[in-house]
Amino acid sequence: MMLEFMRNKLVDVARLNEDTLSIHGVLDDSIYNLELDFKVNINDLVCSAIEGRWLRWTTPQCPQALTFLKEADGFCLSEGIDNKIHKTVGRRACRHFANLFIECAYAARETVKLLHWQEAVGNEPGLSFKDFLEKDSVGGIPAADVMEPVEPVKKPEPITSPVVSEKSSGGVSSVADASFIGNDGKSDSTGFVIDLHLHTSPASPCASSSVDAMIKEAKRIGLDGICLSDHNYVWSPDVVRDLRKKHDFLVLRANEIVTEQGDMLVYGFYEDVQGIIKLAELKKRVAAVGGFVVAAHPFRGFLTFGADDVGLTTEKAMAREMFKWVDGVETLNGKVTATENGLAQNVAKGLALTATGGSDAHDISTVGTYATTFEHEINSEEGLLSALKEGKCRPVTFR
Amino acid sequence: MSNNILKFSMNRSTSVEKINATCLRSVCRLQDSFTDAEVAIEVKMPDLEIVAISGHLQHVYNDEVKNLDERLQKVIGIRVGSGMLKIIKGLMGEDKNLEQLVYMVEECCHGVILTLTKKVLLKAPDDEAGKFAFYSNMVKKNIRLYDRCAGFAKGTPLVAELEAEEGGEKA
Repeated sequence: MMLEFMRNKLVDVARLNEDTLSIHGVLDDSIYNLELDFKVNINDLVCSAIEGRWLRWTTPQCPQALTFLKEADGFCLSEGIDNKIHKTVGRRACRHFANLFIECAYAARETVKLLHWQEAVGNEPGLSFKDFLEKDSVGGIPAADVMEPVEPVKKPEPITSPVVSEKSSGGVSSVADASFIGNDGKSDSTGFVIDLHLHTSPASPCASSSVDAMIKEAKRIGLDGICLSDHNYVWSPDVVRDLRKKHDFLVLRANEIVTEQGDMLVYGFYEDVQGIIKLAELKKRVAAVGGFVVAAHPFRGFLTFGADDVGLTTEKAMAREMFKWVDGVETLNGKVTATENGLAQNVAKGLALTATGGSDAHDISTVGTYATTFEHEINSEEGLLSALKEGKCRPVTFR
Repeated sequence: MSNNILKFSMNRSTSVEKINATCLRSVCRLQDSFTDAEVAIEVKMPDLEIVAISGHLQHVYNDEVKNLDERLQKVIGIRVGSGMLKIIKGLMGEDKNLEQLVYMVEECCHGVILTLTKKVLLKAPDDEAGKFAFYSNMVKKNIRLYDRCAGFAKGTPLVAELEAEEGGEKA
């Protein structure tokens, strides 16, 4: 059998002196080859003197990543540092350097546990490594909340997604191939337009704009309403009512719930679901209260290839288990490619499921890129639910 | 102090092979000073659905994972793709002694993604101008790349055309 791909990662840790570890990491795979060297203070796990090297890379700009590795200088490599590495090294420099850095951080923590045990054995001969760790579960490693951050941490920049296709010069335009939803393909600014999918901070940890800022932006660009669809988060009806009054703007509630089949937008269902729920179970619970389930960005793909590159046809896509359990499909989502939205459109058409649109905005810059237009004015969550169930809506490009 | 003798070392290797016309097998093996572990998944194309999984884990100080196979089997049916880590963690559990295994399932999935990425990257021309055009078009076609790393950062050459088009449309 011939290998299609191989990735090898090697991390070595040596003790440079009483206080310092020297870490050397190599990542060598079919695409990339890169190295990392840095020092770690044994007492507090703070890293310094980070140096990176590329031996093989892809884009002409990849070498620029080395400059940004320095931003991780001063990080405390305690448990829980991985997300911070992804968000700084991964986003600013390169995700493959971040991947190797995380391996190096793991190696540093394991080494410090080993060294602390060896010191403890000096005072207590015969102490096993396991017994030592049972007495001190973290092996003498400082907790992340004690050590972090060493310096002020920049809030990670939101992923901004300028829409480069299917874009109108302003106002509302229909999608590139919207004939399947029964519209004439012309601009339609007469409907009642709601962004059915957006996130706010802090309700969604991945979002960076507050709910007030999102509402103000939605009003500014001319939307008629928004639906708060934070991840596994149920907004209080009182808070949402107050937001409506405060901004004199339609604010409704939804929830984006993680299932084993991917993310689902639910409307008219206000149960606090945490963790991963099976889609069949979610559907059962939502149906029991008369709610509506929409498959969010069902074909969201990868950074360099999409559903079309792996040979996923409409027919094969329609046969997915997921579509047995949903009432609608998000066919315009602001975070996926035109091809992936197109595939979702074809599936919705083929299965005669209601099609919706939403920006999936995580900050104000992308509110309303896509939305859903309704035939009649919506002024309540009940009204939204009825319109969705009757299919009196269609996805639109808005911003 | 003999500072040239290693205190800790780690090897992690992930390999991906095509086992038949519609299935990839991705195996992640880890050996470090404390751990010996392996996770293997089989992924059906084109859905990228995990259809089989197996693994083992031996660790010097962590307790044995009870019902390891049962925990692994929970990811059967999920698709390799964006957002998979939260699903894998959510299904397998977040116990301390499972962390490494969860990470290795994720590494297997990344192996599959990188295998498919490699196929796309093989289409890049060898000359510098051709390469530049290839990656510039890639970010235009797939907006998820924009501002996600130094190579495609805001204001850098590979995204200049995209930003110009975006600016033009706004104007």
